[in-house]
Amino acid sequence: MIETIRIGHLLRETALSPYRNLVTRPTGAAVRIRIEDTLSRSDCLTALLDFSDIELLDFSCAEEIVAKLLLAQATGRPRFVVLRGLRDDQHDAIEQVLIHHRLAVAALVEAEPVLLGWVQPDVRAAFGCVCRMGRACVHDLAAALDWPEPRASAALEALTLHRLVRPDGDLRYPLLVA
Amino acid sequence: MTRVIEVPAHFDDRSFDQFAAGFGPWPPEEKLLVDARAAQWASPYGLIGMLTAGQAIAEAKGERPLLTVPVSDEVKRYWARVGFFRHAAELFELHGRVPKAAATGPSDVLLDVTPVKAMEDVHQVVEKISETAARILHGELGLERNATMRFSMALSESCQNIVEHAGTGGWVAVQVYTFRRRLGRRVAVIAVSDAGVGFRRSLESTHAKRFGDRWGDGAALEAALIQGVSRFRDPGRGQGLAGIKGFLDRWNGKISIRSGTARLAIVPAWDDDLPLADHLPFFPGAQVQITIPAQEAEAR
Repeated sequence: MIETIRIGHLLRETALSPYRNLVTRPTGAAVRIRIEDTLSRSDCLTALLDFSDIELLDFSCAEEIVAKLLLAQATGRPRFVVLRGLRDDQHDAIEQVLIHHRLAVAALVEAEPVLLGWVQPDVRAAFGCVCRMGRACVHDLAAALDWPEPRASAALEALTLHRLVRPDGDLRYPLLVA
Repeated sequence: MTRVIEVPAHFDDRSFDQFAAGFGPWPPEEKLLVDARAAQWASPYGLIGMLTAGQAIAEAKGERPLLTVPVSDEVKRYWARVGFFRHAAELFELHGRVPKAAATGPSDVLLDVTPVKAMEDVHQVVEKISETAARILHGELGLERNATMRFSMALSESCQNIVEHAGTGGWVAVQVYTFRRRLGRRVAVIAVSDAGVGFRRSLESTHAKRFGDRWGDGAALEAALIQGVSRFRDPGRGQGLAGIKGFLDRWNGKISIRSGTARLAIVPAWDDDLPLADHLPFFPGAQVQITIPAQEAEAR
């Protein structure tokens, strides 16, 4: 089950004005609180944050919304988070703040899953491989990437820890695959 | 006794120190006359620098300074059209005939002289500039369309610094003009200035100890711009300037920040500014200039 949250809609509700620009830290914090509130009332394990109605996303808002939402996963009920509808400049702002915090998030860019933020190269390669295959266990990943199994295991473990794939027994699934 | 501060004929970031030196020790005790009669041109940095001086004197409960308007009709008209006199009239006793501002600003002005006092003002600034930024930055300067958004991000972060760090209000203006002497090309310039506590005092309680005897205006600017530190203990802070630096690196731009008695700049190859200038005449608050040059034809 996926909870889709339209950030532009939340912004307009939060700011009580027709803004399409996500700027300033207080605005970002207010939007994040609304996201957390929505998620707290949802049974869905995956939150799909849709930025397609947003014009500008500055660094302060990228930090307040995305980085702090991911950081809060460590203390609250953890969710899988996926972003979509990002333009290049928004993508860059989010990437910068996530790298700063050594965090990562999955995003859909033109329907293709990509990783934004900081992960080891092996983890990034594993993410791409799981997404291409549709699902993978350690053995599948090792075979696909021609890696020894401990290397594949470590990469899948990191993906799971970062909540970048959905675990089901030994298998790992891309976040938006049922 | 009245102290006369001459506005440089060509008033920009380069001649700003000459203007700052005119004030002597802060806050000035004498009545001040800011003499702009001989002004031939002022960049956004120069215009909002004058307003910052007026604001700082008002906040220090100093006597309302005088400001004589430029003799040149053309210069006067331009200053009126970018909104300078409208705000200056609240801070200075204006002497000389001030023309009425036109309903719309000049086409090379992306953002009139605008006060920034609260986060809501940052929203307004970003909304306002988005209407013209794409046309000018893409159409005139040859920047890619997505650079427009990054330019607005840099503007947003610069303005937020006033609200979060200055402890008072400030000013912003954005303009396009030709950098004849230094570059020979058109540039878009964001100028932001406040009359607040400055970088040294803003960062002192959290970072001065680490610098020991080196601590001062220059070290504080270095900590903020180069090391990305913030006075807030939140580890996510300080990324606004980091983001601006990334944008400038991509578009061969320049940032210079003056605060107190120092100015620190990230200097691209087209400019010959000093990376760090220290022991400058004191000026209150902080003044930021971000310069994005038009892309050379072969780079487009």
